[in-house]
Amino acid sequence: MSYDVAIVGMGAAGLQAAISSSRKKAKTIVMGRSEDSALHGAEVENYFGVLRATGKELLNIGMEQARSFGAKLLQEDIIEMSSSEGAFRLLSDSGTEIEAKAVVIASGIMRKKLKIPGEKELFGKGVSYCASCDCNFYKGRPVAVIGAGSEAAVSAELMTHYASKVYWVAEEVDASENLREKALNAGAEPVSSPPKEIIGDDKVSALVLEDGSELEVNGVFIELGARSTTDMAMDLGVMPTPDGEINVDKDFSAGVEGVYACGDITGKPWQVAKAAGEGGVAGEMAAKYARGL
Amino acid sequence: MSGNTVTLTDNNFDSFIEGNPLVLVDCWAQWCKPCHMLTPILDELADEMAGKAAIGKLNVDENPGISYRFNISAIPTMLVFKNGVMQEPLVGVRPKEDIKKYLQSKM
Repeated sequence: MSYDVAIVGMGAAGLQAAISSSRKKAKTIVMGRSEDSALHGAEVENYFGVLRATGKELLNIGMEQARSFGAKLLQEDIIEMSSSEGAFRLLSDSGTEIEAKAVVIASGIMRKKLKIPGEKELFGKGVSYCASCDCNFYKGRPVAVIGAGSEAAVSAELMTHYASKVYWVAEEVDASENLREKALNAGAEPVSSPPKEIIGDDKVSALVLEDGSELEVNGVFIELGARSTTDMAMDLGVMPTPDGEINVDKDFSAGVEGVYACGDITGKPWQVAKAAGEGGVAGEMAAKYARGL
Repeated sequence: MSGNTVTLTDNNFDSFIEGNPLVLVDCWAQWCKPCHMLTPILDELADEMAGKAAIGKLNVDENPGISYRFNISAIPTMLVFKNGVMQEPLVGVRPKEDIKKYLQSKM
């Protein structure tokens, strides 16, 4: 399907961008999972006009508002973004393909660390947060991929092309059926006990699980949450900062024509007021750009 | 690439380490996206720290010998050498100020 504006992220920034964009008569789609938004589990009492509300309530109202102005909502994670000749192409974890004239990145900040013993100590010595960067170093060696979402599913499948054995450690897989099947069909072995500790002296030698068992692995890939948007943004020519943030100008342009960013991904403070404010401007600017106004 | 950043290979690596009192070597690969985030930072550092620290870049795909010798299993990894002796490497993308402070602490 073809749209004027595609918005990645269904939190306060993404939904406000969708409201503003569709009110400017741009054909708008917003993608992501609202329950992944940092706002989803929050209590809000510091946002103008709202005495007290749960984040979930605000998100539900925001989704209804966005729909009422004509925006389409798709509760799927984006796993690929590309651009060619002024058009952007986005692919979701369920295989939905979207084309758009402008993209708004409003996907928030992802928690990347697992916080188990050995993770910090063995980082760079077998612990990695980037399977696509480090896959080549694990040719013919056993590895574990930890994470339940699309990032882990894609990484587990990727690692089957390199490693001698791939354990996919996830208590309850959250990735789409499509990505889950791909990883399992490629040979990744599912492990449902949560990880407890990564052990090794100078190099990773095993991953200890909560149930007391040990996986003998040389690599542990920690791939939590949905696919990293900052990683995908690079495919559009946007260069994130080392902190994983995207720098924007006053119009919330991310430095590449037709690409905008707003919300937590542009930096602190991680507040709903900032996210919504930025989303409002980014959505309007993206709509104007897409419609040639 | 900055004029002060030196492209290293398996062949010129050792002479570069021996020829400079303080060296940072960025181990990277073309397909590693986070590695590209470091490039402009290191180019700036190479200029700012010219005469104090030498900055080199080593493509791990094209130079497996050095990658193997230093047991590199993640990129980007920045190897740091003081008077030829390897220091604790910096793994992953780091802010420019962190890298600069680390190098200054080794002066």
